[in-house]
Amino acid sequence: MKICDLCGKREASLSVRQLDKEGRATELAICAECAKKRGFTSVEDLKKNAAEILAELKAKVGEQDETRVCPRCRLSYADFKKSGRLGCAECYRTFAELLAPLVRRLHGSVQHVGKGRQRGRKRAQERLELARLRAELEQAIQDEDYERAALLRDRLKRAEGEGAS
Amino acid sequence: MNLVPEKVGAWLSDTGPEGDVVISTRVRFARNIEDVPFPGRMKFSEAELVLDTVHWALEESGYLKEGKFFEPGMLGQDDGLYFVERHLASPDFIASRSPRGLFVSTDERLSVMINEEDHLRFQALAAGLDFATAFKLAADLDERLETQLEYAFSEEFGFLTACPTNLGTGMRASVFLHLPALVLTREIEKVLRGAYAVGLLVRGIYGEGSETRGNLFQISNQRTLGQSEAEIIEVLTSVSRQIIDYERKAREYLMHNLRVEIEDKVFRSLGILRGARIISSDEATNLLATVRFGVILGIINELKMSEVSQLLVLIRPANLQVIIGEKLTPAERDERRATFIRQKLVR
Ligand SMILES: [Zn+2]
Ligand SMILES: [Zn+2]
Repeated sequence: MKICDLCGKREASLSVRQLDKEGRATELAICAECAKKRGFTSVEDLKKNAAEILAELKAKVGEQDETRVCPRCRLSYADFKKSGRLGCAECYRTFAELLAPLVRRLHGSVQHVGKGRQRGRKRAQERLELARLRAELEQAIQDEDYERAALLRDRLKRAEGEGAS
Repeated sequence: MNLVPEKVGAWLSDTGPEGDVVISTRVRFARNIEDVPFPGRMKFSEAELVLDTVHWALEESGYLKEGKFFEPGMLGQDDGLYFVERHLASPDFIASRSPRGLFVSTDERLSVMINEEDHLRFQALAAGLDFATAFKLAADLDERLETQLEYAFSEEFGFLTACPTNLGTGMRASVFLHLPALVLTREIEKVLRGAYAVGLLVRGIYGEGSETRGNLFQISNQRTLGQSEAEIIEVLTSVSRQIIDYERKAREYLMHNLRVEIEDKVFRSLGILRGARIISSDEATNLLATVRFGVILGIINELKMSEVSQLLVLIRPANLQVIIGEKLTPAERDERRATFIRQKLVR
């Protein structure tokens, strides 16, 4: 009879592969009760699990890291730990080394495998870019920031020219 | 709003491969647009821009000809729930207040949520165990959208998503299983544990959390990073095949050893459905699932499996209201539900 590695009391009924902080795989024998506690049962539980992992990581992350802020969306690492959600693509670059251990524990890996990104002309994206520039230009005129408005108008003209070519 | 009352998507009105055990297969992708904050952090104006941009991208890709686009104003609580019950949108999406949109193809095989937790969440549904069809549909949509949109991506983490649990492929693949014999023979625990052990996620469908109704289960991949799309699907397919095999053996066992008891359970369920004057959606779901089991086993011959499967969706509160064509109180609903089921099942 195999004893549960977690509680050391009950009989183990399943084995789970787990990765430690260094990324080494270990086999764990776990009893049904502990499995339930560790959240192997549902999406809700998976989220809970992620929250636990975050709490553990908190201990390792210094004060400075806590207040680090994404330059694009202004999300701080502390914000992320509260919500479990990143704010934008830039967040992944800003917090890369803080996220790596979490990602490894969630997925057992930190290296994407599979389909890559297609490069090429993205017409909808060009439209989006133009709409954003126009909105910014309008805002600049409203703010009577004419220097910025002139700059934006030039960028807009250039972008429109590229779109038409 | 122009909702289709009694027609249910192709993925439910057909019986696909291994349809006696697997009701449907789903492949979902999460994607975000580069250079715009994720929905949780974006400004109202940015949400509107994303909505407009994706709408345009869908139009350019030719998809809008094949379905309908629902704008935020059309996605109120009641109508929104209709899509949730049909597995075309998530509860979070319906509850969200930011500008959002939903595209649903005419056959309901494809749907796209815009500005849910990620800018784009799209899925393909296929009847039975059919990852080939579901994956192809979803991957084609992905490719056609990608000629229009620049996705947020990193070489290391793959497709970038608001929640780190969806990183990498951004793909969640799942099967909806009907496992009455494994539940009756109490083998189900063993099966589910086996699935967890190989890194899959199991939960009941039509239920909150992990509670199951009607012996219906959903199995999906837990990890999205470090495995390719093909590898993820391979694991799910092989585990599904084992479960199908196991369920069929359990059915054989029951029919050999407990035939009368099973017949009794099936005919009692059908009897209640044919006689009830008031019925909740929970009770109806459980009874319909048992009737479906009876049809599969050949105990009931006058009903088709797909008709019963469709009823599982049509009797849910929001769908029932669309069929009846008016807003009902819960008590009225239970009464009208019973009438509706009687009309469908009495031959
Ligand atoms: Zn234990
Ligand atoms: Zn950010």
